[in-house]
Amino acid sequence: MNARPLTIPLFLLLLALGCNRSQETSGTPGGPSGATPAKPSKGTIGVTLLTLQNPFFKVIGDTITTEAAKLGYDTIVLSADTDVARQANHVKDFVVRRCAAIVLSPCESRSIVPVIQEANAAGIPVLTVDIPCNEPGVKLLTQVATDNFGGGKEAGQAMLEALGSAGGKVAILHFKQAESCRLRVKGFRDVIDAHNAKGVPRIDIVMELDGGGAKDLGYKAAEDALQATPDLRGIFAINDPSALGARAALEKANRTGQVTIIGFDGQPEGKQAIKAGKIHADPIQFPDRMGVEIVRAIVKHSKGEDVPKELLIPTSLYRKADAEKDPSLK
Amino acid sequence: MRSSPSFLSRLLADYGMVMVLALLCAFFSVATQSDQRPTGAEAGRTLASDLLKRHPKGARILVAVPDQADAIAFAETLQTDLTRGGVQVHLATGDPKSARSALQAAAAEGPLDAIACDATSASWMVFADVPTDFPALGRPRIEPPTAYRWPNFLKRDNLLNIANQIAVIAIVAIGMTLVIVTGGIDLSVGSLIALAAVLTTLGIRDIAGAQQATAWGMTSSCLVAIVATGLAGGVTGTLITVFRLPPFIVTLAMMLVASGGAYLLTHGQSVYQVPDSFVWLGRGTGPFGLPIAVLLMLLLYGGAHLVMSGTVLGRHLYAVGGNRVASRYSGVAVRRVILTAYVVSGLLSGLGGVVLASQLKSGSPTFGNMYELYVIAAVVVGGASLNGGTGRMFGTLVGAFVIAVIQNGMNLMNVESYTQKVVLGLVILGAVLLDLLRERGWKLDLSGGD
Repeated sequence: MNARPLTIPLFLLLLALGCNRSQETSGTPGGPSGATPAKPSKGTIGVTLLTLQNPFFKVIGDTITTEAAKLGYDTIVLSADTDVARQANHVKDFVVRRCAAIVLSPCESRSIVPVIQEANAAGIPVLTVDIPCNEPGVKLLTQVATDNFGGGKEAGQAMLEALGSAGGKVAILHFKQAESCRLRVKGFRDVIDAHNAKGVPRIDIVMELDGGGAKDLGYKAAEDALQATPDLRGIFAINDPSALGARAALEKANRTGQVTIIGFDGQPEGKQAIKAGKIHADPIQFPDRMGVEIVRAIVKHSKGEDVPKELLIPTSLYRKADAEKDPSLK
Repeated sequence: MRSSPSFLSRLLADYGMVMVLALLCAFFSVATQSDQRPTGAEAGRTLASDLLKRHPKGARILVAVPDQADAIAFAETLQTDLTRGGVQVHLATGDPKSARSALQAAAAEGPLDAIACDATSASWMVFADVPTDFPALGRPRIEPPTAYRWPNFLKRDNLLNIANQIAVIAIVAIGMTLVIVTGGIDLSVGSLIALAAVLTTLGIRDIAGAQQATAWGMTSSCLVAIVATGLAGGVTGTLITVFRLPPFIVTLAMMLVASGGAYLLTHGQSVYQVPDSFVWLGRGTGPFGLPIAVLLMLLLYGGAHLVMSGTVLGRHLYAVGGNRVASRYSGVAVRRVILTAYVVSGLLSGLGGVVLASQLKSGSPTFGNMYELYVIAAVVVGGASLNGGTGRMFGTLVGAFVIAVIQNGMNLMNVESYTQKVVLGLVILGAVLLDLLRERGWKLDLSGGD
């Protein structure tokens, strides 16, 4: 009778032991004092990302893990599931463990301030990846993000290239809440404005609609844009899901031949659509490069070298020709 | 009609969960063993006497530590003691960069005998590169304080962290226990947490005077928020009792209404214009070095336990959950009892939201997302039955801690997020299984007798 309630804890214990086994072998305990520490464990890098549901963040986490392992760091990658309270707990746990560095993509840049300050007080360097935190009172080693402004300019170039000598009317599917998207649209507008300043043929940005950064909302917004502007020639969507939503609206309205779509991101589904000619081109982001830069910054810091306050990873324009050569698309 | 569980099996059920908690703690204590290097003044003294034994008078030692209170105390004691012992000391506090410039300065004066570090600076790569980057320094040895083995899990800071991290969920779980004991469920608690956090911070920002708000202004903002969520609980309770709507649907609707309301009030932005003193509730420290939020939680559990075990209301709650018809015939005001449970659940969700806003020094409609599930899990892991009639406050507290300990322990053990979810899910499943076994008198009946 008495033994029954024990079966569950015992099962748990076994399970947890199973999980632990893999880590035990990789960690090298620090050498005893006095001996020259030939191969000391350099410590653990604690990473808490916005979400791991999105493959973009998964790539960042995985790259940090592999790059850090090469240099003798252990890594722990956690998903905050967009819950800032959970992310705060992650950071507190990292501080207790005395992590060598803490990397985060803030779920909310204001609410996360107090725990970043706790990490600062513990003398642990803090880095942000993809989403910056520009609040006063926090010390950040560096902030690694995509050069969204530059990416927006590339999107503008792609639009010029697609519309060519004819020019025409263009709509933007925006997601104004996100700073990153505002930068993308600013870069896009800059290129179009510069082009128009030179004269003909004009490209007019006739409307800016909220595409929500999502397929369903992008679809609705694009439908409205097509209704409002019968001679629409181009759509710039600030990410792949809204671009794909816009494409669906074009297909429904039978206007796929007349309207060119430029997306952003380079997610697998977006790349596939570029290969199929459904989206004209994407400025693509490089989450793997972000991971590499994060680890590089931590190492530079540890070596006592200067680390720039901000590291912007440039995007690169990805067209149909690139997609046909892309080994990841089969 | 279900027979009431015997005293022995109730004891076993409580004992079982405390046992799970104890085993989890023991396991994580073993699993998170790691080298700890002491810091602070005492460690500085020990390391100094150790170094003086091995280094002659006139030796040159660089002391390098990060810019952190304990580490600086460590370094300063070390410096004083070493200097008294006739050793020439260079002190570098700050990041690895300041250590590099200290090395540069030291290199001008010839070789260095040792570099004394604390736990953090011992792993700085800048020291590993000394022989190549600063040949003039020779090959100084890196000397951290002697390490001892101690689990990260059992550090005082970590145990306080666990209690602080679970405070909000545990407080809300008190109200949920009441609701579940009556045989209901409250899915709206997560959204009410967000609504209360938003109302509190909005009140402070727009009415009490933002950063200049007084303690009085902040308290009344908090009270208004708590009363508002209490009213929301009253509305759900009324709908459930008067119109006999299923609690699942009513609270699901309230969840949407409250969450939408929080987004509407803030336009989806977070509200952060609150005074620094607002964090007192969530991050302040009270007597015995315990965080205020944890003290509040313990106080509430004490009160709730008394209500459940020693008052008429407590007995009526169990009666209503155990058999509604029978309790009505015995003269229990069933509707009023159920209404009370939902109002209390609303009030405590509001309090939880206030604590969360204080911990994060802001209010945002995204707070409390999915908390209802953790709260329900805590109550169920704590031994309450979703059929109503059983459940104890002490069990719920233990259940909340089981969840907190698992999450914290796995974070400390490098278990990645996906695995964490699987383990947490299995624990909840295990607890429900335990509940089932208890109800059947610890006999596993696989014949499917129903």
